[in-house]
Amino acid sequence: MVLILGVNFNEHKLVKKALETFYALGPAKSERILAKYCIHPRAKVGTLPPKTVTALTAELSTMTIENDARKIVQDNIKRLRDIGTYRGRRHAMGLPVRGQRTRNQTETSRRLNRVERRG
Amino acid sequence: MSAPNSLRCLLRPSAAVPRQIAAATWTPSPWIAPFSTTPGAGKAGTTPKKNVPKPKAAAPRGVGMNPTGKKQSMKKFKKAQGAKTAKPPLPGERKAMRKRIQLSNNNALPVEGLAELEPGTMLNPKNIGTMAALPGAMQDNLRSLEAFKATQFWPMFRQPATLIRSETVDLMNRMQSAASKKETLRLVVTGERITGKSLLLLQSMAYGLQNDWVVINIPEAQELTTACTEYAPIPDTDPVQYMQNNYCLKMIQAIRKANASVLSKITTAYSHPELPQNIPINSTLLALANAAKEPESAWVVFQALWKELMRKGAARPPVLFTLDGLPHIMKVSDYRSPAFELIHSQDLALVRLFSDVLSGATSLPNGGAVLAATTRGNAPRSPSMDLALAQREAEQAGTELPKPEPYFKGYDLRSEEVLKTVSVMKLKGLSKVEARGLMEYWAASGIFRATVDEKAVAAKWALSAGVVGEMERVNLLTMHP
Repeated sequence: MVLILGVNFNEHKLVKKALETFYALGPAKSERILAKYCIHPRAKVGTLPPKTVTALTAELSTMTIENDARKIVQDNIKRLRDIGTYRGRRHAMGLPVRGQRTRNQTETSRRLNRVERRG
Repeated sequence: MSAPNSLRCLLRPSAAVPRQIAAATWTPSPWIAPFSTTPGAGKAGTTPKKNVPKPKAAAPRGVGMNPTGKKQSMKKFKKAQGAKTAKPPLPGERKAMRKRIQLSNNNALPVEGLAELEPGTMLNPKNIGTMAALPGAMQDNLRSLEAFKATQFWPMFRQPATLIRSETVDLMNRMQSAASKKETLRLVVTGERITGKSLLLLQSMAYGLQNDWVVINIPEAQELTTACTEYAPIPDTDPVQYMQNNYCLKMIQAIRKANASVLSKITTAYSHPELPQNIPINSTLLALANAAKEPESAWVVFQALWKELMRKGAARPPVLFTLDGLPHIMKVSDYRSPAFELIHSQDLALVRLFSDVLSGATSLPNGGAVLAATTRGNAPRSPSMDLALAQREAEQAGTELPKPEPYFKGYDLRSEEVLKTVSVMKLKGLSKVEARGLMEYWAASGIFRATVDEKAVAAKWALSAGVVGEMERVNLLTMHP
């Protein structure tokens, strides 16, 4: 098991996939991080030297990922609600925001659209 | 009829009781005949069949239903439960299976009179069209150099053997003259699919091993450039070059294994302070190669080894450097630099080393050869390489050079630069003499069952246009009546 930014990863996991488990870190950013530390795209977490692991942790700790990124999204929604926009209200009601119909199939909006948005 | 009953009287009563009781209590119903052909007639009696409750309905609960009383879910929506097979292969097992090289087959007939390969066998034009078996010790060396490929037809024969074709003799003679003149033979083997390019490289390696050359092989160039092995920038290089330590370590181990006898005879002439362990002057090159134990030090050790081999002077053997899959190093690689730009294959240090020798930028001071084979099966498009090779072929033939397309932007100048002055050997089909030699070997091995005569050879030769791989397909992979 290898610890990157406080998360334990299996040694057989691809480094790229391990990085992408963090919120707000997608394929493009992970590819750039790999290139920055000269890690080839098919590298497994177990093959990383300890120096690179600490460097990765340091790099990730400077980025706005996980709770910081979630906070940004929540703040944006809160701002919309506070100034009383339609989008803000729809978020607060857990309904579709962008004009979709609400007769059926609003599962995603019910799950995601709320002021204290989780994911 | 009565005989068994009377005999039963002699038995002890307890054994016979149940049967007798059953016989005594059975009273035929007065309304029906004492015997019937319909099974249910006795039970049904006078009541009509329709009103009789069906035995199925009267069955106790739980038969055909689950104990909870709920209806069983329909099969259609049930998760398919496949039969449990053996446990899945461990990590790496599938790949090992795929890459497995089997070099002998005890079911094949031993070929009588099959000569073993000797140092001069492939130099003699008299041997064209004959087969030569690879000696056992050399098989191990070639195997460690990864000269054999899983796609070749080795598992069908008792012993690995190769056909000596005219191109083989030509190439080996050129290699020999280059070594004797201390020159570098720089050559690209090209040709259509399955024309025997990789096998020609194998033959050259066999020649090198038997004639005390130091043989270095890159079996698949794509392993270097498709971003599947580790890489790291080499400090203090401008433009930045990249080393591939893991691959380098693997390569040094292969060199050490295959050339152990030669390397143990050569001694070092330089001190190498940068090495992880102290290698004093006058220790063997084998000891130097043994210094590579960790990937971190592999590139340094390889450089030291190369420096020693490149030392001009006596007691240094010629070097054979081969690479299979040339198009893979004639393009931008899949690696990315820290600035997120794609790295050109020529910026990878190992590839650079090979290309420098191939282009003639560095020469082998003790003579030798650098051979590259193109590949057609799994090759990326490399217009520059195609153009450069066509131009070299035209130069050799003395015809007009093909020109690059003026509006095409896909050319790669760095690749063209490498192939500016190489010589090209284009492999084509076999001659009929060579085809006959090959087919006779197949017949002697018991795989080809028809008689090998002029007509059969002509037929198969025409079907395959003489291309070796096609001949194998025509003869070995098809059923003959």
